[in-house]
Amino acid sequence: MKQKQSWKPYLWLLPSILLISVFVIFPIVIVFRLSFSEISKSGVVGGFVGLKNYVEAVHLPAFGIVMKNTFWWVISVVGLSTLIGFIIALALNQKFRGRKIARSILIFPWATSLVIQASVWNYIIKYEYGSLNNTLLNLGVIREAINWRASYQIEFIWECACGIFVTIPFVAFCVLAGMQSIDESLYESATVDGAGFFSKLFRITLPLVMPSLTVSTVLNIIYVFNSFPIIFTMTKGAPANKTDTMITFLYMLSFYDRKKGPANALSVIGFLILCFCAGIYMLTMLRKEEDL
Amino acid sequence: MMQGNEKRTNCISLLLVFLGLGLALALMLLPLYSFKAGIYTKKSSNTFVGDEKYREVRAEVEEIAEEYRAKGHNVEISESVTERTNSKGETTSLVAFSIDESFHKSILSFANAGLPSSAALLVMLAAMGAALLAALAGTLPSITKNGRALTGGQAALRDLSCFASLAAMISVPVFVLMNNSLFWRKISLYAQDLLTEGKEELYAKLDGFLYGGSMGEEIGDALKHVSCEHSPLVWALLLCFAVSGIAAILLRYGSVKKKLLRVALYAFVIVVCVITLYPYYVMFITAFRSNAETLDMYFLHMLPTKWLWGNLGDIIKRGVPGFLFNSVLIAGGATLLALLCGIPAAYAMARMHFKAKKFFLGFVIMSQMFSPVVLIIGISQLMNVMHLNDNILGLIFVNAAFNQAFAIWLLRGTFVSIPVEMEQAAKIDGCGTVGSMVRVLLPMAAPGIVTTLIFVFINAWNEYTISTVLISTASKRPITVGITQFSSFNMIEWQYLFAASLLATVPVVVLFMCIEKHLTSGLTSGGVKG
Repeated sequence: MKQKQSWKPYLWLLPSILLISVFVIFPIVIVFRLSFSEISKSGVVGGFVGLKNYVEAVHLPAFGIVMKNTFWWVISVVGLSTLIGFIIALALNQKFRGRKIARSILIFPWATSLVIQASVWNYIIKYEYGSLNNTLLNLGVIREAINWRASYQIEFIWECACGIFVTIPFVAFCVLAGMQSIDESLYESATVDGAGFFSKLFRITLPLVMPSLTVSTVLNIIYVFNSFPIIFTMTKGAPANKTDTMITFLYMLSFYDRKKGPANALSVIGFLILCFCAGIYMLTMLRKEEDL
Repeated sequence: MMQGNEKRTNCISLLLVFLGLGLALALMLLPLYSFKAGIYTKKSSNTFVGDEKYREVRAEVEEIAEEYRAKGHNVEISESVTERTNSKGETTSLVAFSIDESFHKSILSFANAGLPSSAALLVMLAAMGAALLAALAGTLPSITKNGRALTGGQAALRDLSCFASLAAMISVPVFVLMNNSLFWRKISLYAQDLLTEGKEELYAKLDGFLYGGSMGEEIGDALKHVSCEHSPLVWALLLCFAVSGIAAILLRYGSVKKKLLRVALYAFVIVVCVITLYPYYVMFITAFRSNAETLDMYFLHMLPTKWLWGNLGDIIKRGVPGFLFNSVLIAGGATLLALLCGIPAAYAMARMHFKAKKFFLGFVIMSQMFSPVVLIIGISQLMNVMHLNDNILGLIFVNAAFNQAFAIWLLRGTFVSIPVEMEQAAKIDGCGTVGSMVRVLLPMAAPGIVTTLIFVFINAWNEYTISTVLISTASKRPITVGITQFSSFNMIEWQYLFAASLLATVPVVVLFMCIEKHLTSGLTSGGVKG
């Protein structure tokens, strides 16, 4: 009955399509076009230069370390936050007094702007006057102030820790949503059959929350890859891009160093990496759509 | 059978409680802390080690040491030599002699030493006593009067004993950990004249504790030479308390494993909550400090000495309300636009059948993949072309567009979960598609819509990167960018930064807590389950 009005659904979709096309798809096109064009320092776009920008980007001295950082950034933040988030979801899925409060508290980092979160952590781990030293000294846990950011490697680890901290709630709540849709009777019959905690975890919980976990992981890869404020606030990539990830690097390249060409090329490279993740995500989502 | 078992468990655990507490008491009375306190120092003038002048001073010092020994002090002489070259090129030495007394103190004797944690010590002792008594009162009946159930009072006593043991179990490690470092930190702060409050009193107490009141005025100097180490046996205390604590739990609850798991669960949740709240605590207390105190290198105060609520007034004068207003405009506008475009699209996805449905779904998911950051150069170029650069309207569009996917996703999930029949009935009554949607579907989907609304609002509110790039006029900045004005390159006004952050954070956190319950179901129905 409805299929007859075949043009009508598109009318309903039109505003959404317009919005996405203009502000999402069009910038993608622009970035692609610019990555193959000559761009002067002042931003004037010249003619087609082929892969020159890409070659230039790859040969930037910091390129190697930035890619390495990006890899570790994504792997450690996504991996650890998924692991810890899963454990927290397991704990919050138990019935205990104060669960509601615990869940409300856990949602705090998700609701807080990354730039604020990063500023606070930046203050917490300062050596000379930071809060962590203050708290630990005044609680008597340590005797001397500790330099929490002795080297750029340690600073990068802190950045990852901050990333993990802000990512955990998303994972925990996705997994929790999955866990709460599991039928309680499954566990009851498993208990009757004599299954222990771990066999229940691996045989029932894990397989059933796998879809939620996959989706949250893929989304996380994308969010974390795109994450900008934490690194920008805490170290700005200093010293000499050694703590930069691709996103902060291309930002600095574009808006500070005025190397728009290579920055656009990097943008496209990042875009392609995301496309790859998006492909995986879309396949899983669309496959599930068929089930409906 | 059950009763026999219970009796045996009770006997064993009662024994354990006694053993643990007894050992703990013994350890508290043992002199486990070894002190080394300087009681006399003498500096020689420029000499050479071994020459006449040196021997003269040495003999003098030895004489004094003998005097102390005669009084029964356990003293020894140590010397430190500083070599220096004089103007003639000769190497001379400056020898400092000191007489140190070494002695041992038990933890218990700390109680009247003016230590910050002496109060904790007394609490612990009280807890131990209470645990002992309560365990006796609560358990003995169940052992002697076999088979008779405990009366309410006895059971309550038994519970009390368990709680007391637990309290002791937790407070002892804390005490051991804190005792030394807090104490010496305070003294070193006094020595540097950074702390003055209560100095006289503590010094007098310490004089009595360490020197039997013989130091008088010189106690300040003497304290600089005091060192204190605790014997590793102190850690055995922990073991004792762990044993008695576990035994106490055993007394209260038959199955230790289950209860320990419970305790572990609580401990884990508490640790997670504390870590999660820590940045907010820091943000809050720092927001009301003075600037000097935020940069205090001696870590003198854990809490602000004076809560400067006026910091809020200062940031209001520096344009923060304007930033907040901009944020409301941007987030509100983006939410409105995202919902205006998203609701029809979600409706079409949920209720209509058409060929390109799957294609559109892919298109939407695709757009969800790209955070604006990777495309930031493209977006800023686009805004240049559209003359939306440095314009709040541009931010509204970008935020709405990049949240479109999530909005459609969440809304579609809600719409699908609402049965179609109601709308069909409305249509039969003469409403059109739009009418039935507005009058029937939307009111029913209100919780889902509110969730989506808040979600998009928060995303847009917290957005930072695009705003930094697109907005160059200070007065048009949203709050996330606005707060960075307090952290310039060479000076960060932490108190203002965090006061503004607080204003930016509280409303969204409250909003988010409101939708927390719907969020889990929303994530399942919309985002995750598909």
